[in-house]
Amino acid sequence: MDNRIIFHIDVNSAYLSWEAVYRLQHGAKIDLREIPSIVGGDSKKRHGIVLARSIPAKKYNISTGETVYSALQKCPHLIVVPPNFERYLNASNALIDLLREYSSKIQRYSIDEAFLDYTDGDKPWREAAYEIKDRVKNELGFTVNIGIGPNKLLAKMASDFKKPDMIHTLFKDEIKDKMWPLPVEELFMVGPKTKAKLNKRGIFTIGDLANLDRNYIYSWLKKPGLLIWEYANGIDNSKVRSEPLPVKSVGNSTTTSFDVDNRREAHMILLALSEKVSMRIRAIKRTAYVVSVGVKNSNFFSYSKQMKLDVPTDSTNTIYETAKKLFDEMWQGEPLRQLSVSLSDLLDNNFYQLSFFERDDRKEKLFDKAIDKIRDKFGQESVFRSCFLHSGINPLIGGVILEEEYPMMSSKI
Amino acid sequence: MKPIEMIAWFTKDGYPIPLRYRLADEDEKNIVIKVNKILFKEEEKIAGNRMILYRCESIINNTIKIFELKYEIATCKWFLFKM
Repeated sequence: MDNRIIFHIDVNSAYLSWEAVYRLQHGAKIDLREIPSIVGGDSKKRHGIVLARSIPAKKYNISTGETVYSALQKCPHLIVVPPNFERYLNASNALIDLLREYSSKIQRYSIDEAFLDYTDGDKPWREAAYEIKDRVKNELGFTVNIGIGPNKLLAKMASDFKKPDMIHTLFKDEIKDKMWPLPVEELFMVGPKTKAKLNKRGIFTIGDLANLDRNYIYSWLKKPGLLIWEYANGIDNSKVRSEPLPVKSVGNSTTTSFDVDNRREAHMILLALSEKVSMRIRAIKRTAYVVSVGVKNSNFFSYSKQMKLDVPTDSTNTIYETAKKLFDEMWQGEPLRQLSVSLSDLLDNNFYQLSFFERDDRKEKLFDKAIDKIRDKFGQESVFRSCFLHSGINPLIGGVILEEEYPMMSSKI
Repeated sequence: MKPIEMIAWFTKDGYPIPLRYRLADEDEKNIVIKVNKILFKEEEKIAGNRMILYRCESIINNTIKIFELKYEIATCKWFLFKM
């Protein structure tokens, strides 16, 4: 396993670079990458967070995830551009197409990251890596970092070293010099909570963690502890998966542009979310046992409630009715800014078990199917429930692009 | 870069060749420019967006001018890129 050559290709400030080069292609005079700029949501709609920042914006201490408002306070002449996911998906697809010329084993890890197995590559791997990096820059106009290692974990750690437009290696014999001196929170899967736990026991660098006794870490942090201990020692045997992992849950959420303070509106938003998640679950030919509803109130406090159904479902109505029930049981009546509906414990439709006691929903299934077909052919909003008319609420809420087409980051490499 | 109105012909391979385009000048008056010569064409896919770039030559007001046109494949729009 350790003789593999794995590349991790990571687009430098992805959304921002893609936005910048798209604009240059359309005749813009200014390169967003060279000035303090961010890609950010619309503050008026309360979607105002920083999605990506330029390197000059980083110098103002602006970080991804903070509010656009606070970013503007740090740098009043900051340029804020709205996101355009379709554009980014095009750029990402073009990158993957280019990578496919080098290997068939490619794992699209997120919209701006990919793993490539170059073990059986034709060229010397270093040459291939430089060729990829330079071709992306010349043909597609943006820059990438490529990390090279004997497994995915080390490749990923390597691509993060120094940016932009660089290639780094991290092989087993380099771990001690290149990875161990880094602060422990730089290690993949070590978040703020784990960092605090580790720091408390005097573990500050990845090296400190790596040199702990295996049994000690296991007795302390159990399996997750063992995983990060293995990562700290550069151990990772996962394959470059060309096939995506099976979907485990489907969910949609929305941050409303106004606080929701009455039951009727909340129910409508739940209906709009249910419409979307149920369409998605039908599209992947699954049914779900568990429905959960989550809310975030205007004090940014979140809570959720879930329920297991006796019979798995993919019906819009059943999902909505369950969501409504869960919501009514938990909501305290305070203003809400975010609502979500998600389905989990998914089951393949082929194993659908008929039940004596469940009402006969064959007609409803046909109806859902017909609606899906109409929406597919004539657009998402070609048919919708009349309660949304003149309500100011979107009849379908949630992700514009299907998950399959738009892979998000996962905690599993 | 301005979007422009264009008359073009297409080769059998599907490549568009610009012939004549119209744009508004400073006084909002339409002017028509005939493309006399295409010096070269080049396809680009910056950020994954395919465009064909043409460097062309025309006689405008009795002087030879060189300019660049762009055709965006995804939107079928023509642009005057540089003049």
